[in-house]
Amino acid sequence: MRFSESLQKLDRRYIYIVVALAVIIPLIFPLGLKTYTTTPVEDLYRHIDAIAGRDDKAILIDFYHDPSVMPELYPMEIALIRHCFIRKIKLFTISFWPTGAPIIEMALSEVKEDFPDIKANVDYCNFGFKPNALTIPIILGMGDDIAKAVETNSEGSKLEDLPIMKNIKNYDNIQIVMQISGSTSGYLWYTYARPRFGVDVGVGVTAVMAADTYPFLQTGQLLGSMGGLKGAAEYEKLVDIFAMKGLDYSKKKARDIAWGSKQYSLSNIPYKYKKARIGMDAQAVVHVLIILFIVIGNIGYFLDKRAEKRKYVK
Amino acid sequence: MTEIIGIWIAAFLTLCMFSFLYKDNPFYKFAEHLFVGCSMGYAIPLTWYNAFIPYAYNPLFLKKEYILIIPFIIGMMYWLRFSGKFSWVSRYPIAFSMGIVGMGVPMSMHANVLVQMRSMMLPLNNINTILIFIGTVSILCYFFFSKAHTGAYGKFTSIGIWFMMVGFGASFGYTVMARISLLIGRIEFLLEEWLHLL
Repeated sequence: MRFSESLQKLDRRYIYIVVALAVIIPLIFPLGLKTYTTTPVEDLYRHIDAIAGRDDKAILIDFYHDPSVMPELYPMEIALIRHCFIRKIKLFTISFWPTGAPIIEMALSEVKEDFPDIKANVDYCNFGFKPNALTIPIILGMGDDIAKAVETNSEGSKLEDLPIMKNIKNYDNIQIVMQISGSTSGYLWYTYARPRFGVDVGVGVTAVMAADTYPFLQTGQLLGSMGGLKGAAEYEKLVDIFAMKGLDYSKKKARDIAWGSKQYSLSNIPYKYKKARIGMDAQAVVHVLIILFIVIGNIGYFLDKRAEKRKYVK
Repeated sequence: MTEIIGIWIAAFLTLCMFSFLYKDNPFYKFAEHLFVGCSMGYAIPLTWYNAFIPYAYNPLFLKKEYILIIPFIIGMMYWLRFSGKFSWVSRYPIAFSMGIVGMGVPMSMHANVLVQMRSMMLPLNNINTILIFIGTVSILCYFFFSKAHTGAYGKFTSIGIWFMMVGFGASFGYTVMARISLLIGRIEFLLEEWLHLL
């Protein structure tokens, strides 16, 4: 068998093994590759950070996904919640998916263990699972009165009785709605809530959907977006650069640190808060590998074609 | 102890799923069916306690809000789908649901068509708006099939193909990233929580 022919007929299982090794090795021995921050993620961070310490503003995170896309979306949620807890930003969470509700509980409890002074229903409030059929009525109802539209939190307590609802009435008090989704890029929010009530909408989406968000970023229907693991890695980094040091956001500083020659040290950061950045090391190695596979596959294809042509001429 | 058992079960099921990469086998089939069953088994009681009880049973039977009988009956009509004789009744709640979808058409038109069109009509004073303009017009021309794609017109529509290819390439690149992220997530779980190597 010719070399080119053997390339064409290579058993796919060898490729799986190589890809698995390309993932495992960088995870065990991180390469410390740089994470470059981009404008859509920086815009989100800046907009959320602008309400640090304010009592009359909050953000709402809609967990619109199930566990199957958690590797991409969960680090975003952890980074967002951590940002809110560090900077004392009021946080609401909701899920219209039955399987999204336990992800909220998991994310909140995972971050909360590092913030003992943060209290449920005072600093944050989990609205819990609300039936999918009620998505539009709730989205529209929140424009008038959040407490009436959502009614209860995840524990069944009336929202109007909770301390967090003091000075929070409707979308005028919501700085941004963040939809973290594996199936829609904030569609319901920018279709129903934004045109009617003017609330800003941001998204965290799986990489498959990331390209779809750009037309909406360009029109301003989406204020910012995080695309896949890369987006999560960027947000993680911004939280470490600014929020952890109690600094206000500055684009220049973000670019100086993120785009500078030295990698921001990850050594003192707990693993759960740098998961996306370490994952991006493995991601980079696999991407290089896939490019190599495509190049080698094409070389094999053209060599094979040339050999066939020569055989035909003879 | 419960957590450790849970991690071992999750690790076993992850490996069962990965075993499909070698070839289809009973371990993979077992994990696949278990996944579907667990998802449904989890969603049904959650929907029962979070949707049916607070939004149908409690208001109707405890608070005596009898107006809810109407949507309750419409909803129950779905179940007649399983009856050979009365399955036609289930078309009424479907029609009702479709009507609700229609309610979203104007809003959807605004968000997905009108606002997008407005962003195409910006002054051509920078390279981005020029590229967007050329890309949009050439792609629209490519999908205009009432005129043969020949001559100068054909060359212009081929620019549209290039724009689309760039779009497909970006989407494919992102798709590769998404799939690898899922693999990274599972391998991270195996290395971190199961084997404690990270």
